[in-house]
Amino acid sequence: MSATLEIRGMCKSFGGIVVADSIDLDLMAGRVLGLIGPNGAGKTSLFNLVCGVVKPDAGSVSLDGRSLEALPTYERARMGLARTWQNLRLFPSLSVMDNLMLGPRAYSADSLMDVFFRPSQIRAHEAEARDRALDILERTGLSPIAHSRVQDISFGQQKLVGVARALMNEARCLLLDEPMAGVEGQTYALIQKAVRDIAASGVAICVVEHNVAFIRDLCDEGVFMFAGKVLARGSVEQLINDPHLTELYFGT
Amino acid sequence: MDYVFTILILIGLFVILASSFDLVIGHCGLISIAHPIFYAIGAYISAMLSKQYGLPVPVSILCGGVGALLASALVAVPALRVSGDYLLIASIGFQLGLIELAKHFHEIGGAGGLTNIPSFLIKDFGRESYVVLVLVLAALTVLFIRWLTQGPYGRMMTAMRDDELAFSMLGRNAIWVKVAVFAIGSGIAGIAGGLYAHYFRFLEPDQFGLLQSSAVLTMVVVGGMRTTMGPVIGAIVLQLMPQVITFFNLPPSILGPLQGLLFTGLVLFFMFVRPQGLLPAADLWVGRKQQGDAGQSAKEARS
Ligand SMILES: Nc1ncnc2c1ncn2[C@@H]1O[C@H](COP(=O)(O)OP(=O)(O)OP(=O)(O)O)[C@@H](O)[C@H]1O
Ligand SMILES: [Mg+2]
Repeated sequence: MSATLEIRGMCKSFGGIVVADSIDLDLMAGRVLGLIGPNGAGKTSLFNLVCGVVKPDAGSVSLDGRSLEALPTYERARMGLARTWQNLRLFPSLSVMDNLMLGPRAYSADSLMDVFFRPSQIRAHEAEARDRALDILERTGLSPIAHSRVQDISFGQQKLVGVARALMNEARCLLLDEPMAGVEGQTYALIQKAVRDIAASGVAICVVEHNVAFIRDLCDEGVFMFAGKVLARGSVEQLINDPHLTELYFGT
Repeated sequence: MDYVFTILILIGLFVILASSFDLVIGHCGLISIAHPIFYAIGAYISAMLSKQYGLPVPVSILCGGVGALLASALVAVPALRVSGDYLLIASIGFQLGLIELAKHFHEIGGAGGLTNIPSFLIKDFGRESYVVLVLVLAALTVLFIRWLTQGPYGRMMTAMRDDELAFSMLGRNAIWVKVAVFAIGSGIAGIAGGLYAHYFRFLEPDQFGLLQSSAVLTMVVVGGMRTTMGPVIGAIVLQLMPQVITFFNLPPSILGPLQGLLFTGLVLFFMFVRPQGLLPAADLWVGRKQQGDAGQSAKEARS
């Protein structure tokens, strides 16, 4: 079976700091990979490199066998790459619902020609996106706050909106950057269930997380990153119990 | 009566200018103050096409709009590929450079100005008809911008203003949205330029400089950015205020400085006391109701 997302020889440094040191990584369809590592290991940077937010010094990424190298961020998203952000990055001037409405790979108003000359097509597109958004809001338990402003809901709910917005893409590959940080209680269970369901539908998922319990519950496999290098790949249990990695993780 | 007509026409034209400028700077968040240069391009193209090549005035006004639209895209595409901030510098450079160029270009009147521009008055109707035409077009512009910003395109502009990176990561092409909105706003300004040219029948490069940039900016800021009526009110207030003072029959030596003082005072007042303008914008974007919403509420009622 070939990988959904293939990262090959990814290299990047900022000044003297190496955040990616020839990283090779495969994400498989329907599997959840946990990306573990201490602060500053380069986990978020790896997501940025994959999404084209940061340009690599060397290396390549491909999605379903198609190279993403020459593509800007928005075209990568249109090919089925979706992510959430460690610092949320929701749109505060939009309601929860409208945050989601912008998420489909093809948006109703991407073409100005349609805006001006095909109003019926725009309406159909909007209705379709709205139905999908309502469905996702329902599944993530966000329906009651669909029309709230994102500043007016709890932090956990905001995290969930970030995930929900990424789901609008119907992505082939989903990157989640610390979806659990600051989240507790019911929302925790909701995010966990949402991620499981997406994986079950054949999406390749990579989760960065410091919450070990979450990683253990959810991930099929883990990789350990340190100083821009992938040091180990294996079962989460295996990585957690490796004394050498634990030492690197806690910096003792 | 002619005096009143002239003021009404200027109000109409500035409503068009201020509203289209608000589309660019307010709704889309594009920092550029070169809006009057696209007004100028529309005015000059329309004037020249009708004067030199005998094109019917309505056709030449439309050509002026298209010319302004294309010229603005020519500035925006390279500038926005560098960065959003770069647009400010590039567009001011374009504005001042083009004005300088026009002054030395005698075919279009040079620094002395372009005269004898064909008028667009329908014989038996007189000036009233032109007033009506301009005011109707101003109303249509306001309605068009409201329609655009309250639809799915407005949702895009709002999100892009909030967070461009997150916006791109959803698959939206930020550069294209910016270029498109900049071009639409500038094209509208170009049409207003043509309407100006064929009424006043005289154009001079210096009219379209930074002074006019700041006037249009003040209208939008005073009225209230990102509101439908804000730029309209701003245009009316700033157009009428200097007229009102002239009624006091003050000597010119006092009148000039007084007008300048009032303008500057107004800008300072609004900057410090009421930065949101007379009409504050809502902080939550709400699109217009669509047919789909009926289905939505039905579905919500069920759940
Ligand atoms: N755009 C940038 N310019 C300069 N340095 C950067 C940039 N982005 C990241 N870095 C640096 O690269 C290093 C790795 O950062 P990164 O955010 O990838 O770590 P991380 O593994 O996600 O850590 P955390 O667990 O804290 O989120 C850090 O030292 C950071 O300061
Ligand atoms: Mg990080």
